[in-house]
Amino acid sequence: MLPPDLLKPSTVHNLLELGLTRGADFAEVFAEDSESSSIDLLDRKIDSIGSGNSFGVGVRLLYGDEAYYGYSSDAEEAALLKLTENLAQAHREHRPGQPSPFRQESVPDRHAVRVDPESVPKRERVDLLRRLDERVRRHGEAITQVGASVSEKKRAVLIANSEGLWVEDGRQYSRIRVSAIAEKGAGPQVGVESPGVLGGYEFFAELDLEKLSESAAGSALLMAGAGYIDGGTMPVVLGNGFGGVIFHEACGHPLETEAIRKQASPFAGKLGQPVAQPILTAIDDGTLEHRWGSLNVDDEGLPAQRTVLIENGILRNYLSDRIGARQAGVPRSGSARRESYRFAPVSRMRNTYIDRGPHTVADMIASIDFGLYAKKMGGGSVDPATGEFNFAVQEGYAIRKGKIAEPVRGATLIGKGHEVLPLISMIGSDLELSAGMCGASSGWVPTTVGQPTLKIDRILVGGR
Amino acid sequence: MESQAAADYVLALAREHRLPDVDLLVTGEERLTLRVNRGRVEKVDQSTAQGLGVRVVRDGRTGVAFTERFEQGSLEKAFLAAKENAQLQDPTDVLLADPPPAVPDPEGLGLYSPTLDALNAEQLAAFALEAEAAARDADRRVTAIPHLSVSRESGWYEVASTHGVKYRQRSNAVGAFCQVLLEERGQRKSGNASWARREWRPEAARELGRLATSRGAALLGARPLPGGKLPVVLDEYSAPGLLGMYFGAFSGEAAQKGQSRLKGKLGEPIAVEAVTLVDEPHRIGGPGSRFVDAEGVPTRTLPLIERGRFAHFLYHIESARKDGRSSTGHAGRGYSSGITTRSHNLVMPPGPHSLEALTALEPRCLLVTELEGGAGCNPLSGDISIGVQGFLVEQGRRVQPVDAVTIAGNAFDLLRDIRALGSEYQPNLSRLFIPPLLVQGMALSG
Repeated sequence: MLPPDLLKPSTVHNLLELGLTRGADFAEVFAEDSESSSIDLLDRKIDSIGSGNSFGVGVRLLYGDEAYYGYSSDAEEAALLKLTENLAQAHREHRPGQPSPFRQESVPDRHAVRVDPESVPKRERVDLLRRLDERVRRHGEAITQVGASVSEKKRAVLIANSEGLWVEDGRQYSRIRVSAIAEKGAGPQVGVESPGVLGGYEFFAELDLEKLSESAAGSALLMAGAGYIDGGTMPVVLGNGFGGVIFHEACGHPLETEAIRKQASPFAGKLGQPVAQPILTAIDDGTLEHRWGSLNVDDEGLPAQRTVLIENGILRNYLSDRIGARQAGVPRSGSARRESYRFAPVSRMRNTYIDRGPHTVADMIASIDFGLYAKKMGGGSVDPATGEFNFAVQEGYAIRKGKIAEPVRGATLIGKGHEVLPLISMIGSDLELSAGMCGASSGWVPTTVGQPTLKIDRILVGGR
Repeated sequence: MESQAAADYVLALAREHRLPDVDLLVTGEERLTLRVNRGRVEKVDQSTAQGLGVRVVRDGRTGVAFTERFEQGSLEKAFLAAKENAQLQDPTDVLLADPPPAVPDPEGLGLYSPTLDALNAEQLAAFALEAEAAARDADRRVTAIPHLSVSRESGWYEVASTHGVKYRQRSNAVGAFCQVLLEERGQRKSGNASWARREWRPEAARELGRLATSRGAALLGARPLPGGKLPVVLDEYSAPGLLGMYFGAFSGEAAQKGQSRLKGKLGEPIAVEAVTLVDEPHRIGGPGSRFVDAEGVPTRTLPLIERGRFAHFLYHIESARKDGRSSTGHAGRGYSSGITTRSHNLVMPPGPHSLEALTALEPRCLLVTELEGGAGCNPLSGDISIGVQGFLVEQGRRVQPVDAVTIAGNAFDLLRDIRALGSEYQPNLSRLFIPPLLVQGMALSG
């Protein structure tokens, strides 16, 4: 919870009241006090250790659909009143206004911390990183470099608004990253793993270091010995877990009301219509316990929800924030998010995944004469307005005559989300979720992507 | 407390704790951003932000910490955290710099224009609304303008240390970004244009809107190209966009840690002779210009590639000592992070060809005007695999817009495969001054 001396309820009340008397229909205060820390290991050495405190107060005034947002790290009431006054400057209409009395909303904590990170000496994290480094290096001399880091962040936030909402939430994030570089004469290749949770130190204590190191080192070693794929349009089997990044980028972003409300999405006006084959159901769920993209409440103070985006191929819902919901004419989905007090909230994804289907990976591979098995995906990007996307394959294999063949490197998947979605014809049952960071207009927020292994009938693969 | 007092307070704490090797970075910024939608202002963001990062070097070990609150308790907490963090780091070889003998007035770098800070919301709104109207009116196929924002920002930073270093500089800029969506026969294309300057020119609004629309309109009717090898011309935006992803290889620290393909290549040819690349920290108006780096070391012009040969790595104090050299003045730092290696303004001297003339040097080539994300580009291996938009050009004439095309190759091979350089840099504020490039040997998939 926010330290009580940082921002008094009377100050918050006065800010909201000032907003309303300056003609705003709605006023909101978001305050945040965050402690972050990180330890990086590189080249067998503890390379850097850092920690810090972020603090600030954001004020948002809504005049119809116009939003005015400002923030400051100065918690003095006079400074914040001046900020609010400046925000209201464009609207000279003054009127009496009184915020509703605050009702304290208590939020059940679905993601309770079991081991308080502050109770564990930093030395333990250092030891953990050294053990991880050593395990990755055990995979042979072709592993030429290892990097590993632990990062933790504890966010205490307060959201209060002129409708009487007063809700506080604590969010503890824990994440580890390991990267292995392998060299076999054809240029270095990197294998990366970076799991994370909304939870405490128990995450580090219970980590399977063997699995993590095997995954990063194995991927780097395989790709270091791989040749390039011949590019072209072909069927692709997309691996589970982080493979879901394509759905996230190419379909998830265009389903946010931030894109829908401006008609700048291929999915605008398509609610209730088929957008995929009936085997496909996709969900964005902010309630999953301890998942990296989960929340107790969103950054407008609404409890997190489970939102079915696509049900049996039919588009059912968008992801919305207060303004987006109003403009797109849909309900709010508890999806308003922001990186920090430096950003106004907008609709964002939480834990987004394609649900389980009836097929097996073996069936999918067997159905392809020549294609690509993109077992692990790297990052990518999308233009939500056109749906055009571009993704790197971190670990790929050629598929020849129904069998997984040689590893291939340097592959990229290119397409348009709304065109590729109906081409998903087989979906497996091996659903996995994977942590990532998503960047958009309200900054970088933790999100989870996920899917079972699935088959796309044809997609352009960039290669050589 | 004020930022100056905050810096002094932390240095006083260092003296009190008998820690002679402490440095810090304090930053402040002010920003005003407006977004418009359908003829109305829809969002105004107004902010002031600050941060202080402190580095403590103790027995050869370094710890860093930061705070965004400038009151005594928070500053002291950050200082003590940096001190504690230093206990766990493996020993390094950092000796903080002594103050440089004479530093010119940073105002001479031309990074600050007093008139910009006076721009108010009404002026920015008028600019944005005019740009939006111009974009919409420029083509009947415009269906939406998903993004139109205008902002002004002003910032400063100060580097200070217990060794007596004290360097402060400020900068500001104004910028706008316009994304236009066009649709024809079921095909959607985005046109993007940005404008980032250090002078206010209201008449640029219409040019920005029209440019975004014309870029999108030119791509309507785009079709894939068959795969194969084709010469590629990277225009003045995509050339720095693509090459910029690989310039981390010039970091001495990256080489020491096995993260640079340039390791062991000093003095060797790594590019065609026509290519020279120089870091120019004193370039007037260059967004990366500074007289002193983040560790208080004086900056100087440094060639990285001289007529095709790899000339210098970039160093900060620690990486330089590791290689038995002196810092080249390339320490970078944000208040919330530790020291990194950072170039200032990377300048590749231009060639003689206009963009059109460059595309006419080959009977058939792909002109790339837009890169679609860099996820397939691996800064470590140099691998390039990236979706692009642009035009098929035959005999110097644009014959077809293309989409669903990727180009693939290796950035370090690309430097050897440059056939000719264009004559103009892109006009926006940028730390990369890279002209258009005609490159052979890239593979296309479509």
